[in-house]
Amino acid sequence: MVATVTLFLPEPLRTYGGGSAEVPVAANTIRDLLDRIEQTHPTLYPNVCDETGAVRRHLNIFINADNVRDLDGLQTQLKNGDVVTIVPAVSGG
Amino acid sequence: MADRVVLTIGTKKGVFVAEAGKTRKRFDLRGPFGPGVPVYSTLVDTRGTPGIYASSCNPFFGMKVLKSTDMGKSFKETKSAPAFPKDDGRALINIWSIEPGSAKKELWAGVEPASLFKSYDGGDSWEMVPGISNHEHSRKWNPGNGGLCMHTIIRDGNRVHLGISTGGHYLSEDGGQTFTAANTGVGAGFQPDPYPEFGQCVHKIARHDDAPGRLYMQNHGGWANWTGPGGPRPDIGVLRSDDHGHTWRSIAKGLPSDFGFPIVVHPHDADTVYVMPLEPMTRTCPGGAPAVWRSENGGESWSRIAKGLPKKQSYFTILRDAMTIDDLKTPALYFGTTTGQLWIGRESGEKFECLFDALPPIHNVKVAVV
Repeated sequence: MVATVTLFLPEPLRTYGGGSAEVPVAANTIRDLLDRIEQTHPTLYPNVCDETGAVRRHLNIFINADNVRDLDGLQTQLKNGDVVTIVPAVSGG
Repeated sequence: MADRVVLTIGTKKGVFVAEAGKTRKRFDLRGPFGPGVPVYSTLVDTRGTPGIYASSCNPFFGMKVLKSTDMGKSFKETKSAPAFPKDDGRALINIWSIEPGSAKKELWAGVEPASLFKSYDGGDSWEMVPGISNHEHSRKWNPGNGGLCMHTIIRDGNRVHLGISTGGHYLSEDGGQTFTAANTGVGAGFQPDPYPEFGQCVHKIARHDDAPGRLYMQNHGGWANWTGPGGPRPDIGVLRSDDHGHTWRSIAKGLPSDFGFPIVVHPHDADTVYVMPLEPMTRTCPGGAPAVWRSENGGESWSRIAKGLPKKQSYFTILRDAMTIDDLKTPALYFGTTTGQLWIGRESGEKFECLFDALPPIHNVKVAVV
């Protein structure tokens, strides 16, 4: 059974996600979610992952309130109703 | 009839476009476009209907290529930016140079990590050029302080010259299919072997159509006092080749420092060349007194030109692509500083004037008359 989750996009990425802030995705893990995004939203995907498939260095991915770095990284399991949020890292200068 | 001077100014916070009439009395500034995102390379493409390209190095969302078809009144992203094949293992960090190719919509882009890409549709799709990107040396190049960047692309008929920091000068004589390291006489100061086959920290290369075979290079100098293995290596910073880049010789004698980033050739005189010497440790103007140095005899001697520039307490840096010259009858030289000043050197640099005093740090300045 594949989980259905909501991917929440920051404002700069919405133009690549069809203009919407929220994109429904069926996926079991974060990696699975990214792979599905690559198929369904090919212009959004390269904004999140580089050519090697790695999440871009200055982006954080949260499941609900938890950073996936503090969970199982890209292998973190998803469950129905989760909200996955992509957040650019805070930076200055 | 070409009657407008268009400057593109790539900065830490986006690209600006400045435009003036041929008198260049007053420049109007537009921008920033791609706001908040560093721009390291621009191109004013004068082929056909003029256009502008700018690389936009978004630290969060990756590389974009911006294109303007209305001379910098607005910019849009092209459909894609250069990217390595999935199985390559490298990820694109930045675009350091955009140059026109031979076909109408053909573009060449030098990127970081050092590789070459081509587009045949005005930047909407890109393909990697394997002859240099997968060169047997490519995995042995090391990044300099600015990154492992391909910053210079010069096309000269079937010859292609590439400048890589730190890879050195690479030459193709088959239109860019294959490349060989061509660094005889190009010194390196940061390794025991002063004259390696490749791996030099070339900063910029320039040429002129009227002097076939001649090239000028600003290399990473500043090693006259090196006392480590291999000994001192003075005057390796400013070089000239007269055989299409196969061999190089120093033309640094007479300069206050052989360290610098840009090197520019006068559009109507292949013997007149400009550099901006910097102190090697601080990479700022020697003594806090900025000056362009000009040779009018192909590098045999140099003279300081600084009328109108600050006389003291000015410690800015001029990066490798931040100096250029227009091609009007009496050309003007332009340079941008890391402190956000854009200077014009009227009458080929005889008199400098600050056009804009407080832009974001400037990476890149290009000019065209359209």
